[in-house]
Amino acid sequence: MLKYILKRILIFLPTLLVISLITFFISTNAPGDPVEQMMTTQTGEGSSANLQANEEAYIKKRQELGLDLPIFYFSVTNAATSDTLHRIPKPAHRKTLDRLVNDYGNWDEISEYYYNLRDLEQQVVNVKKDNINATPLIDLKESVNFLYNNTDKEKVEFNIESMQKTLDSMNGLVAKANAEIPDSIQTDRPTNSLLSLTAPIQKLTDSYKNMQNKSTKWKNYIPSFSWYGMENQYHTWFFGDKPLFGDGDGQYRSKGFLRGDFGISYKDQRPVGSVLFDALRWTFGISILSIFIVYLLAIPLGIFSARKKGTVIDQVVTTILFILYALPSFWVATLMVIYLCGGDYLSLFPPFFKPDLSGGFFSDASQLIYYLALPLICWTLSGFAYLSRQMRGGMLNVLGQDYIRTARSKGLTEGKITWKHALRNSLLPIITLFASVFPAAIGGSIVLEIIFSIPGMGKVGYEAVVARNYPIVFAVMMFSSILTLVGYLVADILYSVVDPRISYNNK
Amino acid sequence: MSQREQVNELDQSYWSNVKRQFKKNKRAVFSLWVIGFLALIAIFADFIANEKPLIAKYKGETYFPILKNYAVGLGISSWPPELQNVNWRELDYEYSVFPAIPYLPKNQDMANSQFTGPFDNQRVKSKRWWHFLGTDELGRDVASGMIHATRIAFLVGIISMSISALIGIMFGSLAGYFGDTGLRMSRGRFWLNIIFFFIALFYAFTSRSYNISDALGVSIISFLGQLLISVGIFLGIMLLANLLASALKAIPFLKQRVNVPLDLAISRLIEIIVSIPRLFLIIAIVAVAKPSLILVMVVIGLTSWTGIARLIRAELLKVRSLEYVEAAQAMGFSDVRTMFKHAIPNSLSPVLIAVAFGIASAILTEAFLSFIGLGVPAEVVTWGSLLNLARQAPTAWWLAIIPGFAIFLTVTMFNLIGEGLTDALDPRLRK
Repeated sequence: MLKYILKRILIFLPTLLVISLITFFISTNAPGDPVEQMMTTQTGEGSSANLQANEEAYIKKRQELGLDLPIFYFSVTNAATSDTLHRIPKPAHRKTLDRLVNDYGNWDEISEYYYNLRDLEQQVVNVKKDNINATPLIDLKESVNFLYNNTDKEKVEFNIESMQKTLDSMNGLVAKANAEIPDSIQTDRPTNSLLSLTAPIQKLTDSYKNMQNKSTKWKNYIPSFSWYGMENQYHTWFFGDKPLFGDGDGQYRSKGFLRGDFGISYKDQRPVGSVLFDALRWTFGISILSIFIVYLLAIPLGIFSARKKGTVIDQVVTTILFILYALPSFWVATLMVIYLCGGDYLSLFPPFFKPDLSGGFFSDASQLIYYLALPLICWTLSGFAYLSRQMRGGMLNVLGQDYIRTARSKGLTEGKITWKHALRNSLLPIITLFASVFPAAIGGSIVLEIIFSIPGMGKVGYEAVVARNYPIVFAVMMFSSILTLVGYLVADILYSVVDPRISYNNK
Repeated sequence: MSQREQVNELDQSYWSNVKRQFKKNKRAVFSLWVIGFLALIAIFADFIANEKPLIAKYKGETYFPILKNYAVGLGISSWPPELQNVNWRELDYEYSVFPAIPYLPKNQDMANSQFTGPFDNQRVKSKRWWHFLGTDELGRDVASGMIHATRIAFLVGIISMSISALIGIMFGSLAGYFGDTGLRMSRGRFWLNIIFFFIALFYAFTSRSYNISDALGVSIISFLGQLLISVGIFLGIMLLANLLASALKAIPFLKQRVNVPLDLAISRLIEIIVSIPRLFLIIAIVAVAKPSLILVMVVIGLTSWTGIARLIRAELLKVRSLEYVEAAQAMGFSDVRTMFKHAIPNSLSPVLIAVAFGIASAILTEAFLSFIGLGVPAEVVTWGSLLNLARQAPTAWWLAIIPGFAIFLTVTMFNLIGEGLTDALDPRLRK
């Protein structure tokens, strides 16, 4: 038995590895920028110094989060893509560059274009604003931003052209401003403050043309493999970059998921472990409680219904169970919240989930019953109907077998036949169902926790997905898989306890 | 007993037997009729609920606007200038016949916005324009939304289950038919197939990723076209690998035959996929990507094939040691022919049951996704999104009851069909 359990746990590991990979790659392909999400101090307008400061803060934060590392141990790309693309800080820029690589395939020219664009941005920010160049400056900034995010050839060319035109229009504006000041007044004549931008824009135009002319698109069709080693995001997150023994040089980002360091929530900067622990208590507690209730009710009802097979009462019970089983739990829950939880109809139950758990044991318990009654009913409903049906079927199956007939012919009472002889064998399928009931309860928690706003794992996970709070998403995903796996294992062990014929030893 | 029934009794082929058994189950037959009715609604949704008239005479010309709309959509026909961007309900027709529900799900009736109920005082020209299932906040007709959402529910159920059945049958039959020792190939072929698999992935999908994603932005047809090209490239490269392998057989080292433990690999894969929290994975993928109905179908399909694969595997493990398969092998038929012509067709019945239940669960999953506002684009009305509106407006009872009941009904009917099939296909219960 022990050997079997050990073997099963060994199978856990590759499974967890695969799940960690799937979650990880969903998150790296997600749009949005976690760094920007976490940056609280943003100074939008400003000088070149400000721009610089912003960028430095951005890069620092990115480093803190470990996002400056390559994503995985290796990457399979094409010969056109640079293996240093991950060093470009902003994801939007990386996307643009990647697209350019796909279109032109010449990294050197593309990066030259990119650096010219950045140079131009600096210069534009550096220009001192006055009332003549205000509008052209805004136009130029918009154009630069557009170029950062777009690659469509016609649109890009149109933008570059319009930048030139904006510059040209400055001459007119300056002349007009000059004309407005009478010749008699001796003052500083307005000058073209954007002259300094002529060169960078020209450079940008040239480099864009250069990139197009020297296109080496064929490089996209040569596969290339680059190896990054252990210094990568996945390794840091899953295995950690802290040395196994000692502190190393004391500089590490994470101890790694496997060593219980789940990272820091992007949203409120709390450790994921503590966020998850708070949530897990609710989900786990409610799931276990509901499964307990399910088994407690379903087994007697199934037996009862099987013994009354064919009677009216059996048909009524069977029909009701079928309807309960088929009711979508999120519909039932929604109806309950709308019609029973305050608002415009009955207010038997609280509209918000805010139990006050500060009192003593009894006040806590009554609070919990008040707040959890409806969720528990929903949680229990479909599992209860399903299990009762299975129990009825299993019982019927057993009651039709020869040894039961023998027991009857021996003159045993019906009660003794049912409880002593039939029950044990009909319990078998029900117990294996634990393997599916438990994960279903955990999975169902997403549905019900969202509707009843219970701060459990499902709700926390869902909110994290929507807010792209990936450390939490990872952890929720991993933990619910672990719970699922444990559920399967427990079911297998129970199975062999109930049925001595089943032995896992010689497998 | 009439003669025809006698003939039917005599017809002892497998499927006619199953049909007879299925017909004995009254609930399942009733469900089949209900599903058939819902399917008709789904197919003819445009003719049941539409802003355009079915037939109308306008300025001396007779039009079939709904039919014409299909033609315009296909690019065969085009609207005359006087009918472009018009409000169809307010044109001055000589005569017109409107569909039963004269609204599209997206039409906003400003006069009846802010959740007007079926029995409230609706400001409509006549009873003909009554919103008989009420409206939502923007004044969109709920009845029309329900009708068109039927189509979406059926599409989701059928397409996602087709995907999962296809994958499930493929993996399950490979694992079941070959087992761990059944598939032997030369060492050269084995390694070439593995190496070329990655190369094919690279050329078919990685280096064409922008072609494919750009095409998705243009239209579904061009997306499928690009996908087809990619699949073609993939298959071509794999073919090349196998041709090369045949050529390399000259080298003795590469010629040695090795076992491919297919069953082991596929069973492990299934084990891993089963333990991933499915709903959460779907939510994670769908929330990250751009909302699209196709994505929802594909994701549901890709995550729900394990059950079918297990069934087919178990079935084929049984079938492959039966006489007729052995006979086919003894006669020298190729593995492919034995598998596709003899083994798989005789193992499909459990899949049928799984598909019936699977459609129910796919519809439920999609409804839940749109209920929490994920997956389907915001402007597309589905049963789930209608039910979600009820949470924002508790007084709108019609939004809480009707969509939920539609989901319940459809799911229940598919489940009952599944149960009927289980009974009909299980030979132990046959008397």
